[in-house]
Amino acid sequence: MSEIRALIVDDSSVMRKIVERSLRQAGLDPLVVYEAGSGTDGLEVLKSKQVDLILSDINMPSMDGLEFLRQIRAQNLAPGVPVVMITTESSEEHVKQAILSGAQGYIRKPFTAEQVKERVLPLVNAA
Amino acid sequence: MLLNGVRKAAIATSRGGSGYEMERTMAISLRESVQQVSDPRNLDASVEEVFQMMLGVNCRRDPGPQSTEPESVTAVVGFGGLLSGACVFNSGREAAIRIAAHLTGMEFDEVDDTVKDGIGEICNMLAGAWKGKVPNLAANCGLSVPAVITGSDYKLHVQAPEFQLHHAYRFEDTSFEVTIVCDGIQ
Repeated sequence: MSEIRALIVDDSSVMRKIVERSLRQAGLDPLVVYEAGSGTDGLEVLKSKQVDLILSDINMPSMDGLEFLRQIRAQNLAPGVPVVMITTESSEEHVKQAILSGAQGYIRKPFTAEQVKERVLPLVNAA
Repeated sequence: MLLNGVRKAAIATSRGGSGYEMERTMAISLRESVQQVSDPRNLDASVEEVFQMMLGVNCRRDPGPQSTEPESVTAVVGFGGLLSGACVFNSGREAAIRIAAHLTGMEFDEVDDTVKDGIGEICNMLAGAWKGKVPNLAANCGLSVPAVITGSDYKLHVQAPEFQLHHAYRFEDTSFEVTIVCDGIQ
């Protein structure tokens, strides 16, 4: 597999590390990870870095994950790059909002590395 | 410590998008399903799920004496929307360090910012897993971002809760407590 560049957006540094570890366990290697602690910071990363995959929490202070998604599309940042939401919010309504905002995948916390593999690898391979 | 701050944040979250309209239209159904919401088995299942999936360990209900460590770590995640209240995680220093170590694969010798962050995330996932057990609650109840408090000799006060679940669990040879406090159901 060629090098994958992933942006992980979560206000928890611990959760960013767990997501990174899960991506490596899923077989994404070599992997380059960019981290952001909010949607605002995530947009700044996308203005200066090319990425192949974006994983974002929803419930974050300052700019939440859904607004981050809308801004990515509105500013035409990372066109064609798959976005996967990783969040504790798991109702159909939340999934629907994420998909309508432009997400291609949805992972509910808590999660296993196997679930990350199942939902992320097909998107990376198809991109 | 009062819950007003985390509650306001959770209410703001739940009113984003179309959630507020759903809150209004589904108000009767949650009141009618209060027994399901307060079912203590949902809390046990949520704790087991989070610890097995994120830490790879089992934990069990523990009716025995709880930690008497002077230093404790408390994380609070507020609920807002159809149900208002909070999920509260509390443990001694040793349990907090061990949980963070399992979660991150790192070693800690003190309750530093990473440990606090990890405990906040555990509380966040417990709150999300618990509300996810009741379909109406999952869609119509928002969560605040976690607040983490460390120190000693402090108490959590809730005025006249609708119901409260308070369970203690054993994890390896340490213990922790999880409390669900509901102070309003619409």
